[in-house]
Amino acid sequence: MTAKIEFENSKKRIEHIEDVLSSVAAGDLDVRVETTIEDDLTGVEEAINILIEDLTYELKQSKKMREELEEKLSKIEEQQNTILRQQDDLLELSSPVTKVWDNILILPVIGTLDSQRAQIMMENLLHKIVETGCTISILDITGVPTVDTQVANHLLKTVTSARLLGADCIISGISPAIAQTIVHLGIDLSVIRTKATLQDAMIYSMRKNRQLVDGKIKTEHAENEEIEN
Amino acid sequence: MDLALHEKKIPIIKIHDFLIVSIQVDMHDKLAIQLQAQILEEIEKTGAKGVLIDISVLEMVDSFIGRMLSGMASMASIMDAAVVIVGMQPAVAITLVELGLEMPGVDTALNMEKGIEMLQERLDSEFI
Amino acid sequence: MDEITFDNNWEQLGKYPIQTEHDIVKVRQLVRHYAKEARMGIVEQTRVTTAVSELFRNMYNYAGGGEVLIERGVVESKRALIVTCLDEGPGIEDLELAMKDGYTSGMGMGYGLPGTKRLVDRFEIQTKVGKGTTVRIMKWR
Repeated sequence: MTAKIEFENSKKRIEHIEDVLSSVAAGDLDVRVETTIEDDLTGVEEAINILIEDLTYELKQSKKMREELEEKLSKIEEQQNTILRQQDDLLELSSPVTKVWDNILILPVIGTLDSQRAQIMMENLLHKIVETGCTISILDITGVPTVDTQVANHLLKTVTSARLLGADCIISGISPAIAQTIVHLGIDLSVIRTKATLQDAMIYSMRKNRQLVDGKIKTEHAENEEIEN
Repeated sequence: MDLALHEKKIPIIKIHDFLIVSIQVDMHDKLAIQLQAQILEEIEKTGAKGVLIDISVLEMVDSFIGRMLSGMASMASIMDAAVVIVGMQPAVAITLVELGLEMPGVDTALNMEKGIEMLQERLDSEFI
Repeated sequence: MDEITFDNNWEQLGKYPIQTEHDIVKVRQLVRHYAKEARMGIVEQTRVTTAVSELFRNMYNYAGGGEVLIERGVVESKRALIVTCLDEGPGIEDLELAMKDGYTSGMGMGYGLPGTKRLVDRFEIQTKVGKGTTVRIMKWR
């Protein structure tokens, strides 16, 4: 009789253990195996409780670590974004387009030109042309030792695009090496105006400018002369 | 996003010797062809000596519209009218050049004022 | 060239028919919208919009229309806008010739493919005479 009761008890306790374990498996870490009787099964029950405690602790630790990692990751991402932004800023700073005279823009380029910088430079210059309404711009590349074909292509593209906007773009200071690259590209150079030095480009621009700005006065003058004759 | 495209004619305005056309919509091909014919007819009718085509609001010019514009310039030219494309956006210019459409022989101006000056000067110089 | 596949893990943004000229205008405006959403710069937006306009017109003119699939996905660890144009037209007989760069001599065979290729970061084409042509372009920031 007692054996049967004991057996029934054990069965109930094992069922209880099963319930607790399945709760834990489902994620509820607050449950514990409850026990009142001390016998052979008690050890198992206590061991399970200790295991649940350990598990709870480990889970908390790993959650904390994950949070820390995520925080670090987002910090790194933020830093990376800052670097990218600064790179962009730097690229923009390295192509300063300046209005030097009525109707004349200058973009002096110094240092090595890579494709990306050439691209940004081109966009900046074209935007500035539209913004200021200057019809003459000088792209001075005296400070650029060499260019690869891609960059040379960008330079030529800048000139052709400027023409499409309705502006002249003069390239000055072409080094022998760059001249070689440009000619090897096999692009029609008749549309591109080049000047030896920035000074030459400046003189040319001013003359052209006078023609543009004073054009009307000049034609009036010519008309007057015609009438006199 | 406004996707509405109505079969509206693009208005052509005549001021003195010039025609002024401002393209304000993203044109589909038929509209572009229609505009070309319309401008040529207007040149004949009014005897205009120049045409200013303002494309400053166009966000895109593809090869079709590019060719229409340069064709337009040649056609008007043999009808004794000069065409000036006005106000092309930098992004559009870059894309056209990359596409391989450098539009040689087409005159361009930064803005309407400069375009008119350009045409006026050309007209004046013819009579010196 | 790699074969154009459709089992990529890309997010589909839309699938549109190109049957009329209005479709060309409508769908290219959608492409610009997605390019803007992908935070591309104004020049990049213009490039991709112009490129798809060329492709749509080819479909419309040479194949009597077709279908466009717009997707967003990661390609070579870059976030890309992917546009695939499918048609069941006559196909291109001499693809090599059609892809020949006519940078100085005009537009090559008239499909304008070399120019279009220059405007995007990745250009894939697959064509079969009598079956049709599939062109896929990708643009990333």
